[in-house]
Amino acid sequence: MVNVLTPERAERAHGPRPARPVVAARDRTRRRQTVVAYLFLAPTLLFFAVFLVLPLGFALLLSLSHWSGFALGDIRPVGLDNFTGLFADGSTFLAPVLTNTLLFALGTVALALAGSLTVATCIDNLRFQGLWRTLYFLPIVTTVVAVGNVWKYMYEPGGLVNGALNALGLDSVAFLQDPDTALPSVVVVQAWASVGTAILVLTAGLKSIPESYYEAAALDGAGPVTVFRRITLPLLRPSLLLVCVTQIVTGLQSFALIVVMTRGGPGDATDVAALEMYRQAFSYGDWGTASAAAFVLFAVVLAVTLLQLWIFRRGGEDA
Amino acid sequence: MTPPHRTGDPGPGRPTDRQSPWQGRGLGRRHFALALPSALLVSGCAAPYRGSGRPGDPIVLTLLSHYASGELKQALQGPVDEWNATHDRVKVRTKAVEFTDLLTTFMVRQAAGQGADIIHPYCLWNGQLVRAGVLRPAPSGHAVEIGRGYGRAAVDAASVGGRVYGYPTEVQTYALYYNKRLLRAAGLGSPPRTWRELEEAAYRTARRDRYGNTLVQGFGLSTYDDSTTVGQTLALLGAAGGSFVSADGRSTAIDSPAGRAVFELEHRLVVRGASTPGINVYKAFQSGQAAMVISAGWWTASLRAEMGRDYREVGVAPVPVPRAGDRPGTLSTGFMLGVNTASEHPREAWEFLRWLNAEKVGVRTARQGAVATRMSSLQVSVGSLTGRADDMGTLLGAGGDPNLRPFREALAYAVPEPNVPGAQQAKSLLRQNIEALWTGQRSVDEALRAVRRQVDQEVSRSW
Repeated sequence: MVNVLTPERAERAHGPRPARPVVAARDRTRRRQTVVAYLFLAPTLLFFAVFLVLPLGFALLLSLSHWSGFALGDIRPVGLDNFTGLFADGSTFLAPVLTNTLLFALGTVALALAGSLTVATCIDNLRFQGLWRTLYFLPIVTTVVAVGNVWKYMYEPGGLVNGALNALGLDSVAFLQDPDTALPSVVVVQAWASVGTAILVLTAGLKSIPESYYEAAALDGAGPVTVFRRITLPLLRPSLLLVCVTQIVTGLQSFALIVVMTRGGPGDATDVAALEMYRQAFSYGDWGTASAAAFVLFAVVLAVTLLQLWIFRRGGEDA
Repeated sequence: MTPPHRTGDPGPGRPTDRQSPWQGRGLGRRHFALALPSALLVSGCAAPYRGSGRPGDPIVLTLLSHYASGELKQALQGPVDEWNATHDRVKVRTKAVEFTDLLTTFMVRQAAGQGADIIHPYCLWNGQLVRAGVLRPAPSGHAVEIGRGYGRAAVDAASVGGRVYGYPTEVQTYALYYNKRLLRAAGLGSPPRTWRELEEAAYRTARRDRYGNTLVQGFGLSTYDDSTTVGQTLALLGAAGGSFVSADGRSTAIDSPAGRAVFELEHRLVVRGASTPGINVYKAFQSGQAAMVISAGWWTASLRAEMGRDYREVGVAPVPVPRAGDRPGTLSTGFMLGVNTASEHPREAWEFLRWLNAEKVGVRTARQGAVATRMSSLQVSVGSLTGRADDMGTLLGAGGDPNLRPFREALAYAVPEPNVPGAQQAKSLLRQNIEALWTGQRSVDEALRAVRRQVDQEVSRSW
């Protein structure tokens, strides 16, 4: 049997060696590097702490308290009262506020997705694709206030849309004044305003589909509908998922367009969660209810997003 | 000579390579020495200047109002400049934001410890502000002076739970604006005095084209905003002898015969085509597309400026009452100037408010020897009113716009807008239900029931 000295034993056999100071120096260097790394990270961490963690913690505290918004010393814990109040009998939060919010978001996604998919497919087969994409992207660079006001005038009884209806011999429609048409009318505007981004994403997705699939389909004699259903749609799924998730999150948080066009009216026909939160906090001085509503909306956004991911993953696409 | 840091000698007070940046004692002290004054400087810049605080040095009071632009801003700045020119010890600095941002600004500044010494709230918010501990009750001397100098509606609007919290400034009463030309064209020689006459005039003046587009609204009901929608309804409710909230402020009183009569009247006007609530009534009336509108006195100045020569076709009459011979009634809304509980100089702030709102001075435009308060002169100069009947008599007595007279007379009988805690939310809930009634979402019974349930739940909350 041959005795072999392990490195550790060998070290011990050879007496004291400068290994420990080297390790210590290495540790010091590592510590110093860590400190420097944290120093570099500090501004970002501070930013997140001040603008994300702190407000989130404060909102959580407020959701479990009553606060009128004036003096920090007046925050009074009330447990889960704000949450139970939102769903209590007679509360308007569940219906119509949350219902309107979901209808608004789903309607926007459905319209924007259908519209953008159609337009993106058309653009993909046209010349001057950059020009078309730019044209459809223009609403994105226009402020919501301008978009809302222009559409509001178009919907007016003497406006462009009713003018067109009258020219066709049809009676005017009180688009924003009738509770039955107010929400769909605003959904159309939100979809129109967000279709540009969706077109950009989808045209990029269309470009990434290899041409060889289409050539193979053509050789097999597949028609355009079959090609679209069997090749384009399945391979576009990641882009569609992105569009769906971003559009629905935007729709669930929508505020500015509703304020400009209807202020939640007529009655409460277009009242949505973000508007209700704003009113509870800044108009009624009930920051507890507003914060609780914000967390409920967060839970809804999370649930809807997870549901979308699950549906798309079930279809075979690992998003 | 080579600079020390080039030779590896870090120099006095600088850390060596082996030292962590945190270990240098001199550096820490120096950083601290730099950071402390910087922090003080930054906090000093952020905080409003309220004077040095040394005995004898001027005290600077801040006044936050919504007189942010145009003639309102100038009108307030005039007396403030006069005060600053004649008072060495206490100076006043005005800050202004748009009305839509006023309550939010109160909140944010108060929470940040930067509340203004003197605030100028809409009286609807008084209950909310008192509940939050923002408004300081008027000292007894001032409270007595306010109770004596102003009309009942103005004093009630500036009070919460029977305690006075400030000097009422502008008071808006509601009356019926009518277009003389449109009424004449419909064969009507005078404005309606009863609801029956109002309905008849509304149906006779209303016109639509063959596609259903409104050409002329007979009676302009509007969903323009909370104040417009609710103001019109509460003015009619006041004329019918009803009220929105009970005397103790703990429940709604709109589910009454008077409330039902108002809802039924409005419902009839909409259903029979005399009113189109979706139209912006302010624009429609100016352009001759609305024959009658109930609105507040501030509108006269806007109409005069916007309509030019056509303004002579505008008349104003008291809000029609249900039956001939009924006592007149309407709604009043208003603002007041109060002192913040966080103010370090409340005595000086109240003194300034007394000087502005209660001290009488000569009026140049009125007859020889006529006097009025600075605030009354200020309000009348911008086409508004205060709750001081004597000042209004002096300032509007001779000449002036005759259309302001019904608003001035209404000061004697108008009912103030409720200002209980939760009044803002109660008002929004009422608006939503009025709109639901107008648009056919709810019947009169359903709307009244919904208002009662929702508003009762809100105003009876234990804060």
